[in-house]
Amino acid sequence: MWRLFTIWLGGLTLIGTATLANSAPRLPESVAAKDAAPKQTLLQITGNTRGKTVDLTRADLRALPNATLTTSTVVTDGTHEFRGFLMRDLLEQMDIQGSQVTAMALNDYAVNIPVEDFYRFNVIVAYAMDGKRLKRAGKGPLWIVYPRDAHKALQDIRYDYRWVWQLYRLEVQ
Amino acid sequence: MKRRSSSIFGIWLPLAAVPAFALLLAFSLIRMLDVESNMRVDAEQNMLWVLHQAEVAALRLTSTIALAEAGAASTDDVALRFDILQSRIALLHAGPQHRFIEQINFTDTLDQLSRTLDSLVPEIAAFTPNAGPGLRSQLAPFARRLGQAANVAMITEWDDLGGRLEAQRQQLHQAIASLVGIMIAGAVLTVTLIQALRQSHRRNRMLRRERDFSALLIASSGEGILAVGNDGRCTLWSSAMADITGKSEGQAMGKALADIANFFATPAVDQGVTRALDGTASRLTLQPLIQPGGATTLHVDLHAFPMRDDGAVLGAILLLHDASDRYAAQQKQALDRDRLEELVIERTQDLDSALQRERSAAELYRNFAAMVSHQFRTPLAVADSALQRLIRRGSRARPDEIIERANRARGAIAGLTRLVDSTLDTARLDAGQISTRQVECDLGKIVEAVCTRQRQATPSHRLVLHKESDNDSIALCDPAHAEHVLENLLSNAIKYAPPEASITVSMHGDEQTLSCDVHHDGEPIPEHDRAHLFERNYRGASSVGIAGTGIGLFMARTLIRMQGGELSLQPDSHGVTFRLTLPRVAGAKT
Repeated sequence: MWRLFTIWLGGLTLIGTATLANSAPRLPESVAAKDAAPKQTLLQITGNTRGKTVDLTRADLRALPNATLTTSTVVTDGTHEFRGFLMRDLLEQMDIQGSQVTAMALNDYAVNIPVEDFYRFNVIVAYAMDGKRLKRAGKGPLWIVYPRDAHKALQDIRYDYRWVWQLYRLEVQ
Repeated sequence: MKRRSSSIFGIWLPLAAVPAFALLLAFSLIRMLDVESNMRVDAEQNMLWVLHQAEVAALRLTSTIALAEAGAASTDDVALRFDILQSRIALLHAGPQHRFIEQINFTDTLDQLSRTLDSLVPEIAAFTPNAGPGLRSQLAPFARRLGQAANVAMITEWDDLGGRLEAQRQQLHQAIASLVGIMIAGAVLTVTLIQALRQSHRRNRMLRRERDFSALLIASSGEGILAVGNDGRCTLWSSAMADITGKSEGQAMGKALADIANFFATPAVDQGVTRALDGTASRLTLQPLIQPGGATTLHVDLHAFPMRDDGAVLGAILLLHDASDRYAAQQKQALDRDRLEELVIERTQDLDSALQRERSAAELYRNFAAMVSHQFRTPLAVADSALQRLIRRGSRARPDEIIERANRARGAIAGLTRLVDSTLDTARLDAGQISTRQVECDLGKIVEAVCTRQRQATPSHRLVLHKESDNDSIALCDPAHAEHVLENLLSNAIKYAPPEASITVSMHGDEQTLSCDVHHDGEPIPEHDRAHLFERNYRGASSVGIAGTGIGLFMARTLIRMQGGELSLQPDSHGVTFRLTLPRVAGAKT
């Protein structure tokens, strides 16, 4: 009961920091621009990347092995079919090693995800839902989706906050 | 009173504790499950965060437009912030979020905000800094309205949380109360269990003691005890049993009885065991039991009882009692009885013979009186008349006449003396006062001496003596008695032989015996007299008118028999022959 309350307080604190963060990191130009353009960077990877930022375009992401996942979510009714790529495939293809990934959203929402999650569960980064591309005015362009229905353990608010939508940057530590 | 309370605590309390335990456990489990399910938090409860994020998005769009007006932000920045606000509003329209919006009566406001946002899309797409103030004024209600909604959301969520906490606290209180009840019921059950364990332990100890005592009884009773199951196999074998049969417990357990000892295979015992297994007790006494090796044979009493449980026969118990002592006592008793019977017969015979002797004595005295009156008077009268004549003749008597008369008197007196002697001899015989001895003596010389004396006494009779050989007439006898018997036989022959008849005495014998026949040519003794001739006081038909007591032959035979000899009347067709036979060696058959 108390833990619930603490999590709730944590949420409050997060709101506070988000609201006060005037010095938000500068968005990459390409992300800020209309995501329709194929050459635009959709996802940035920083951290353990041998000193340089990895910029990935939509075409780069589509080139990764496809993965689909059907699950319910906590913010919608019913189940949906998500298509994208497995998070662990991404890290392995890019040859990036680390124990923790900080996922950041366009609204400056940030959350730490242990890399272990990607190996325990088939966590995907979805770019389409129910056959439609995710748009920036919705949950797009990228949404971290956990196989919530497949694992009882994932039906927990401590996993629910890891579902980052409007994802644009991963920081690997 | 105490009993009633003990039955309440001993039976009803534990019995009540069991369902109470189960019910309370089920109840507390249900309450716990309730608490567990209520503790699941849905994301929709995070509405405060969602609304605030929407508010922040609106504020940042407004500030970005202001920056763009000042030339510090690009059109793309405005478009991004607009997209983010659109995304936030869209989120509020999605299922779970929209239901909460309805709950807090924010639907109309949200719809209005959505419409405003939709109307701004073309303006944002064709954004120019000049349009900034208009846009900002249109966006102004967004932050305010969303802030109000967040306010209401917080209150609603806190109310909801408070109510949920309250409910959970109540559920937990009930669960705690149930647990206390469970503890009490558990304590009752534990106490009952411990009591039951202690009681069981105590009873076990008691049973063990009783079993040990029974074993002691079985061991000390001295009776062989064995038990067999329905299959006829041995299940109990006492140490006394081992002593009786010579088979140890190890050799007997689990075996069929007939395989343990032959004793159990005998028809009587086998039938007894079979009957016991059929439910009938039986008893066998003094059954012979040969111990291994055949050294000793015991005689045992056997009792066979059926062993029952709830009416069903489970097996049989056999008790063996070594009754060899009793058997020996019975045998001895039987032996004693036989000996006693023999003794009685012997004594009866003794008594009979004593009675016979008494009767004979009485007879003798009766006869004696008659004999005295008849036999004694004659010689007395003869002697008296001879002496009277001598007195009457007085001095006229011639010397030869005196001698003749005196001799006659003496002869009568001598006859009288013989009568008295023979009567006394009979009395002595009856009293057992006559003893005989057996010595080697020359019967021939005795016969010669007797014949010589007889010739001198009765010169009128011719007496002939025949001897087979001179040097072999030795026999085992009492010479005095032999002489007496021979005198008796010779005097009888002279008495009963017709005058002038010759009397023959002949001796003959073999290696074992020596015989002496006394024969005269008189009238043969009639058949009916022959059988009684040797009886006491019997006088045959031919003895009428001849002096005698009827004792002579009886005495003669008795004396001869006492010396191991025999005196018999030979079955002659003419004359009379008495044969005296004596043994030459000890134990010879005469």
